[in-house]
Amino acid sequence: MAEENKTYTIPIGPVHVGLKEPITAWLQVDGERIVDVRIRPGAIHRGIEYMARERNPIQVIYLAERICGICSFAHIVSFVRVVEDATGIPVPPRAKYIRTILLELERIHSHILWAGVACYTLGYDSAFNLGMLLREKVMDVLEAMTGNRVNYGVGTIGGVRRDITPKVAKAINEMLDYYNREFSYFYNVVTEDPIVKARMRNVGVLSKENAIRYCAVGPTARASGLRMDLRWSSPYEAYEDLEVEPVVPQDYLGKVHGDVFDRFFVRVMEVYQSLDIVKKCMDGLPDGPIMHESKPAKLLSLLKEAEGVGQSSIEAPRGDDTHAIKLTKGEENITWWKVRAPTYANAMSWPIMFKDQEIADAPLIINSIDPCISCMERMLVVDEKGSSTMTTKEELIKLCRDKTRRLMHR
Amino acid sequence: MYKAMLNFEARPAEELKSFLEEKLGNKIKNIEIRARTAGKEEKVAFHDLWISCSKDALIELVDLLSEFDFPIFHVISGDDVGDCILLNYHFSLFSSAGRGKRLGVVVSVLVPKNELSVPSLYDRIPGIEYSEREMHEMLGVFFESLPDRSLVFLPEDWDEKVHPWRRDESGLSSRHIRELS
Repeated sequence: MAEENKTYTIPIGPVHVGLKEPITAWLQVDGERIVDVRIRPGAIHRGIEYMARERNPIQVIYLAERICGICSFAHIVSFVRVVEDATGIPVPPRAKYIRTILLELERIHSHILWAGVACYTLGYDSAFNLGMLLREKVMDVLEAMTGNRVNYGVGTIGGVRRDITPKVAKAINEMLDYYNREFSYFYNVVTEDPIVKARMRNVGVLSKENAIRYCAVGPTARASGLRMDLRWSSPYEAYEDLEVEPVVPQDYLGKVHGDVFDRFFVRVMEVYQSLDIVKKCMDGLPDGPIMHESKPAKLLSLLKEAEGVGQSSIEAPRGDDTHAIKLTKGEENITWWKVRAPTYANAMSWPIMFKDQEIADAPLIINSIDPCISCMERMLVVDEKGSSTMTTKEELIKLCRDKTRRLMHR
Repeated sequence: MYKAMLNFEARPAEELKSFLEEKLGNKIKNIEIRARTAGKEEKVAFHDLWISCSKDALIELVDLLSEFDFPIFHVISGDDVGDCILLNYHFSLFSSAGRGKRLGVVVSVLVPKNELSVPSLYDRIPGIEYSEREMHEMLGVFFESLPDRSLVFLPEDWDEKVHPWRRDESGLSSRHIRELS
């Protein structure tokens, strides 16, 4: 009997540099079924908050930008907003709109990337390639606007550093036309595919109650039916002037499952929502300056005289991104700074999503809260007698894809 | 154990402030309501509430907050301020109650270094686990009744007597820091 009840521990993880929270998951498995999970983040904790103590706020903008490559602008905006909250530095209206446009462009690129990678995990490579193709357009616009595909270097305290020129405006409008024409094709191809639905429905379920108790954020929380979106519940920047409603599955599908499919659905619908927001921002873009203080030396002396604490929570592509800060009068450097990236919160819900699922679904579930897929660079299978075998990322992906193939032949 | 429900009816920050003042008296101080503006016309979009609370009243305060709504937890920020460790608990109330209704609540607690322990909120808000473990390893604060106190972000072989964010002798020394330039 003891032989039959034997469970195995499979660690998945740990490292990826693109995330602040690279995560190792030890899966306790009984055959193919996952019994329990232990999560251990921190393999690449870089001590960014500690480093910030020896830098002034303007230097920390560029440090904050490097927390994450995908949602770097979200981290900047959250950071400059805490400084603005602590010091009372105002932001011109045009800068607020440009920040909003950039945040939404970033959301479009992050969500399309995620949707494509989710298809790749399933073995649906044509949809993955289509997703990557679609994403290039928004990357081109970001590059035209800021000069970079990631880490834009555009945010500053009290404004932004790049204006929307007529040429960039034209590129943005062209992009909106392109997505309104092409994006529904991707969405239809994926959601109407019975195999995709079979792989995503009722997999990695997070109930509404657990989403609240474990403080899930962003699309993960909304897919569990929580009507929660900081752009709506506490509007910042230009969102005060726009009507943004949280995208929840019950409004579209009539029912909440809280599974991977719902997370997919919420993200895809948010792409449409973001396109709409970008359009409204372009139409209502106010004139005027884009910075409160354009001379860095003057801004620094202003910041040196400031005293106070601030906090800011904004809706990053993956969810609520919270920063907090303290500045001391007469000190050039930041006293303390704390960052809570969305994965930090969503990772708490992983153990619940994993319970009673199959190993073949593990890559999909890990992926479903949108951390970085490369977290699964390798995994190590250890049985209780101490022998071990190494499973590569390729083998794990193969396991996941074989399940799709089995479903297709059924 | 809390019922994990979000309240759909928001209450103004002033009401919360006077309710807390009445219930907790001198256990809380420096209550500040901060209006946060947004949009072209700088309209007040939502509010943040900052509260300083004594260590013994923390649980009572969180219980009172949850009479209004389940306190959605964000993070704990902290610092070494000499004789004490400062912890700021960042919560949200009324996140689901409507446009512009969310109320950010920051609860600051000073924990003296000679008795460096605070009650854990884990059985009330399970989502707080990582933050409490992080404050444990980074600042050495002991959270009573927190089931798992193992390291979260620091390496497996880290000396647990060293707390990187402390500014006293238990903080980092030069052997921990490698200057790259």
